[in-house]
Amino acid sequence: MLYVVLFFLIFSLYLYVVLGGADYGAGIVEMFSSEENQKITKKTIYRVMGPVWEANHIWIIILIVILWIAFPAYYNILVVNLHIPLTIVLLGVTLRGVAFVFRHYDAVIDNSQKLYDAMFKISSLITPIFLGMVFGGLISGQIILTEDVENLSFYDVFIKPWFNVFSILVGLFFAALCAFLSSVLLIGESVRGKENIYIRKAGIATIVVFITGLITFIYGYISEYSFVTVFVTDPYAIVAMFISGLLLIPLWITIKKGRRVLSRFFAGLQVFLILLAAFVAHFPNIIITKTNEVSLLDNIAPDSVINVLGISLIIGGAVILPGLFHLLKSFKMIKILERHNNPSQ
Amino acid sequence: MENLDAARLQMAFTLIFHIVFACIGMVMPFFMVVSHYKWLKTKDQLYLTLTKAWQKGVAIFFVTGAVSGTALSFELGLLWPEFMKHAGPIIGMPFSLEGAAFFVEAIALGFYLYGWNKLPEKFHWFTGVIIGLSGVASGILVVAANGWMNSPSGFDYVDGQFLNIDPVKAMLNPAWFTQALHMTLAAFTATGFAVAGIHAYQIFKGRRVALHTKAFKIAITFGAIAAILQPISGDISAKDIADRQPVKLAAMEAHYNTEKGAPLYIGGIVDAETQEVKYKLAIPGMLSFLAFGDFDAEVKGLNDFPEDERPNVPMVHYAFQVMVGIGGILMLAGLLYFVSLKKKKWLTNKKYWLLFIALAPLGFLALEAGWIVTEVGRQPWIIHKIMRTKDAVTPMPGIVVSFYTYIVVYTTLSIAVTWLMIRQIKVLNAQNN
Repeated sequence: MLYVVLFFLIFSLYLYVVLGGADYGAGIVEMFSSEENQKITKKTIYRVMGPVWEANHIWIIILIVILWIAFPAYYNILVVNLHIPLTIVLLGVTLRGVAFVFRHYDAVIDNSQKLYDAMFKISSLITPIFLGMVFGGLISGQIILTEDVENLSFYDVFIKPWFNVFSILVGLFFAALCAFLSSVLLIGESVRGKENIYIRKAGIATIVVFITGLITFIYGYISEYSFVTVFVTDPYAIVAMFISGLLLIPLWITIKKGRRVLSRFFAGLQVFLILLAAFVAHFPNIIITKTNEVSLLDNIAPDSVINVLGISLIIGGAVILPGLFHLLKSFKMIKILERHNNPSQ
Repeated sequence: MENLDAARLQMAFTLIFHIVFACIGMVMPFFMVVSHYKWLKTKDQLYLTLTKAWQKGVAIFFVTGAVSGTALSFELGLLWPEFMKHAGPIIGMPFSLEGAAFFVEAIALGFYLYGWNKLPEKFHWFTGVIIGLSGVASGILVVAANGWMNSPSGFDYVDGQFLNIDPVKAMLNPAWFTQALHMTLAAFTATGFAVAGIHAYQIFKGRRVALHTKAFKIAITFGAIAAILQPISGDISAKDIADRQPVKLAAMEAHYNTEKGAPLYIGGIVDAETQEVKYKLAIPGMLSFLAFGDFDAEVKGLNDFPEDERPNVPMVHYAFQVMVGIGGILMLAGLLYFVSLKKKKWLTNKKYWLLFIALAPLGFLALEAGWIVTEVGRQPWIIHKIMRTKDAVTPMPGIVVSFYTYIVVYTTLSIAVTWLMIRQIKVLNAQNN
């Protein structure tokens, strides 16, 4: 059953990165668009994300619930040492969700739209950066595990683990990845004739992802962060990263040919390979502290808990996944019907 | 401010908001599908207008409930890491099922909101029913987890270790049913009266009376039925607490000394120093009867418990009085509504509508008071008799900063949501059809 639980943990993480990431990315793409294109993007985002964005964000709840049930010791490190960035992520999630609904459900369209738009765009950028900083914080080797908080400086224990160059670089990389995923998604969803907006955005995002990723690695390597040094010596991780890079070729061919489903598949596969590379290099030691590496599998919950959780996840998955699939399929149908109508009707 | 106090206040504050958002998000779908059903049956355009107006409310409250709930799922660990480290695996089951129910709700909402004129009529309506049912299921599951904090079960506690964990038994702890029943009815009562009150105000002002009367009737029917049933559930809860958490019952009643034939205090001002309740109305033997079904039964007083195991007595007592008092008023108002169905003349009387306007906020007031009773009444324990709240709090200093941040964000959010609702109603009233 432990494998079932691990599968759902990684599965939810992956889906959150891809679906939630594309969702955040939509706001980032909107932010970096010209005023005219912002309007087009706003409508497109509503049409594409409207029916599914809430579902996209539930993956993080599933993820966190699995963590605290099955891997309580690991979860404990996360919530104690990375309290501050997680709180900022939460505020970002709150403001973003609220802004999204406000701007599409406010009965009166007036100047307050500008406020909602600004809130939506800013929180769409800040949230994934801090989420990335949390990921970065877990692997940056700065976490100090201690019972003796009072005799250590607040900065060292609660700020430095996430507020350091490496973690910030991971944060930027993650935000860029979100923008990349979103642009690829939006290409196939845009109003006819406007695809070029998103093709250009996807191009820029690809370059930013590549550059931030490269800088993160170079910085981590020079500074001898064990996450990077282990990563670059693991042949499987290297191969996975290499294939992920190579996939850019079929990705861009499919984008140019307008094969939107296939291009999304390639983009999703790239993210999968990046996560896979990190996992094969490090699993199960996913938290790297100043002194040691903490295995996900240390201090796991008792078998009785894991078994019940595994069964719950299988049942829950059997109920949810078909429904979700149907929803994702249906909104395509809805999209075609609404293409030339005002989406708020 | 002490870290512990800041953490408790932040938790209380975020829960107070989440409860309102979540209850409305959980109950309003039912109003919406009833109106939708009437539209499908009668093809009366007003029902369609009403359904679509309520649907916007559902969408807004679902999101505010969802994001504040997401925040809470993290806050449990961020504020109480020691609690979650031990309790997480034990009470994980209701939370994982809640996650599933919540997911189903989000999927159903996606279908419902975007399914007009696209999905088959009956299926579309049915997705609305799913929203309501999965919302209620979520609420019950979360309350079951809270029930476990009041009546921890499904493990053996040996030398500070939680052994032989049985998550199913933990979920079906002795408190889950009474608490879930009481909470669900409270949600329907509070939302029913609040929504009915808003529409009563529109009728009072003479705006689109036909439309708002339909809305009022649907909302108040749910609210009234729940309010009339609530005292039964309250009685079950009281007997349950008398059995499981006698100290909480004693605090609710500010009952200091153990006695047989204990009187029921109504109102009164608690003096914790002298252990007296002044200006109260005492009904002899009634507390014994309500707690144990016997006028002569012995009810344990607060003095039977060590001082460091008692909650804040005045706060619990006042909150309890507020809850029961309002509960009584709303029950009578519920009965009054059903009488008014026979007395059509009342509906043209402005005082009738004024009454329901005045009652609008009371349900939520009682609901929050009830939460104060159960949560403050559980103190000083985070897990009853197992772990103290002060031992569960995060080691990170400076929680006061996040507390104030949450105050600012949630207060702004509430003002914004209220403002948005007012705009919805204005636009609704301005429509002609």
